[in-house]
Amino acid sequence: MNLIKAKNPTRRAFADRMVERSETDKDFVVFESDIGYSTYSYLFGDKHPERYFNMGIAEMGTVAAAAGMAAEGRNVVVCGYGVFLTMRAVEVVRSFICYPKLNVKFLSSHGGVTAAIDGVTHQATEDIAFMTTLPNMKVLVPADSVSAAAAFDIALATPGPVFSRLMRDPLWELYPAGTDFVLGGSKTVRTGGDITIATYGDLVFQALEAAETLKAKGIDTEVIDFYSLKPWDKKALAASVARTGALVVAENHQKRNGFGYEVAAWLLEDGPGALPLGLVGLEDTFAESGDYFKTLTKFGLDAAGIAAKAERVVARKKKA
Amino acid sequence: MIEEKRPSSIQDRAERLEKIAKEMRFRIVDMVHDAQSGHCGGSLSASDFVTALYFDLMNVDPARPRWADRDRFVLSKGHACPVWYAALAIRGYFPVEELRTLRRNDSRLQGHPVATYLPGIDATAGSLGVGFGQAVGMALEGKLMKKDHKVWAILGDGELDEGIVWEAAAQAAKFGLSNLIAIVDRNNLQNDGTADEILPMEPIDAKFRAFNWEVLTMDAHDMTDVLLTLEKAKLASDGKPVCVIARSVKGKGVSFMENKREWHGKPPSDEQYKQACEEIGGGEA
Repeated sequence: MNLIKAKNPTRRAFADRMVERSETDKDFVVFESDIGYSTYSYLFGDKHPERYFNMGIAEMGTVAAAAGMAAEGRNVVVCGYGVFLTMRAVEVVRSFICYPKLNVKFLSSHGGVTAAIDGVTHQATEDIAFMTTLPNMKVLVPADSVSAAAAFDIALATPGPVFSRLMRDPLWELYPAGTDFVLGGSKTVRTGGDITIATYGDLVFQALEAAETLKAKGIDTEVIDFYSLKPWDKKALAASVARTGALVVAENHQKRNGFGYEVAAWLLEDGPGALPLGLVGLEDTFAESGDYFKTLTKFGLDAAGIAAKAERVVARKKKA
Repeated sequence: MIEEKRPSSIQDRAERLEKIAKEMRFRIVDMVHDAQSGHCGGSLSASDFVTALYFDLMNVDPARPRWADRDRFVLSKGHACPVWYAALAIRGYFPVEELRTLRRNDSRLQGHPVATYLPGIDATAGSLGVGFGQAVGMALEGKLMKKDHKVWAILGDGELDEGIVWEAAAQAAKFGLSNLIAIVDRNNLQNDGTADEILPMEPIDAKFRAFNWEVLTMDAHDMTDVLLTLEKAKLASDGKPVCVIARSVKGKGVSFMENKREWHGKPPSDEQYKQACEEIGGGEA
């Protein structure tokens, strides 16, 4: 790929934007659960100690206190790791933030197996299932620095709870500064006529690489970055599959109850109907600790895994 | 609706509150009987101090339920919401007649209280321990804005089993939330048995002290003691949150419900309802 290597991971880009915005937007506060040097929320804390609350290694208590402050009318950003925010504290998020639709914004780091090196206890591979299932919750997954900064802006501007899934490791830069991102939007990052790959977050890069592999095999691939997962851009996907007639959904998440399941249900229920479809995600398994790229490969989430799946889907399309 | 004016002597204040507490108990039993569902026991044990808060000690205005300087009230033991609903209705936040919509479809009186549904409900509650955590956040906000109002959080003693309670307790102490007052309704009964046998938490006072809280205790059914203790809690200001352990009787005021485990979440029959009303003597049955 001809993309520029990213200097910083998306968690850092999101936090940097939070610090930038804090100068003019004086009314939001930040809650941390003792991983401020990992989520980079400490950058905000250094600037605004009076607006920064480190609540300790206590995700449930942190999220509950955030709910209390938000119930008072405050915008609260809660920082933490995806596994703990979305699973240990999920019931607090559900009943005390989503139900009363409070203005709590989650900076959720270590999404998917980008935290591969830390092992399964620190990999959020079910977070999208939990968060997209909660009524009133909006879900964003930026792929690069520019869209991560935009995710913070969208979160702050959107009433109610917003969850942003961010990555541990720096990958590549995709969008030029000043690119527009909106809640419910998507970006077609490569156009093609034979198959659509719908993806989000770090797998956007794997999908782009897969598209190169497929090109060499004569398959013309369209890649769409669904940086907004809830709500998501149904119009864009409908238009794309109307042209390509084949679809792969790829995500760094459990296949079950991920974006692929959402899309599959939509196709049949409200969308254009059945078409050759392949889903790439964790196959009802936990990953493991190790190098990020090797882990993607081992679990079939890398460019080769996506390309292989796409080839099979295109073959089915041709048979049909 | 009860007028706001309160007498000046402690004795007269206690007498006035005792009358209101009877009305509260009647409304609790009445709404739970009418709904044939709900929690009488823990509502009745908390009736006296909730009455003292809403009709004497708390700075609230039913005409302005979202008034910024009001005292906040969080019923962390949310299943006891009949006591909260009764207090709000009698105090004039909404019509008393609405109490009989408890737990019904389209009602603002949900099975467990929801912040956005009813005027006067400051925080959603029902999942034990979380209301207390929210109260910490509300007190943090009050402190950030340099406000003088208090945040009152009502916890059950069984609720102390929840780990989040101790996360919140440590967080409140860290930030020196002297504007936060927790009342632990120590009736020693929870769903499955006595709090002492299900998960022993004594010594509760020493636990909160060890978490750097100021701790007071009171007889939850002696209105004078309730007034004096809670007033003391309001004045405490050495930078610590305050925990008041309210020694109470579950089901207080209805003889056959008192200290009976099974009255945690059971509605009275018609017969039992009649007897309860006679014993309470607070309203028209």
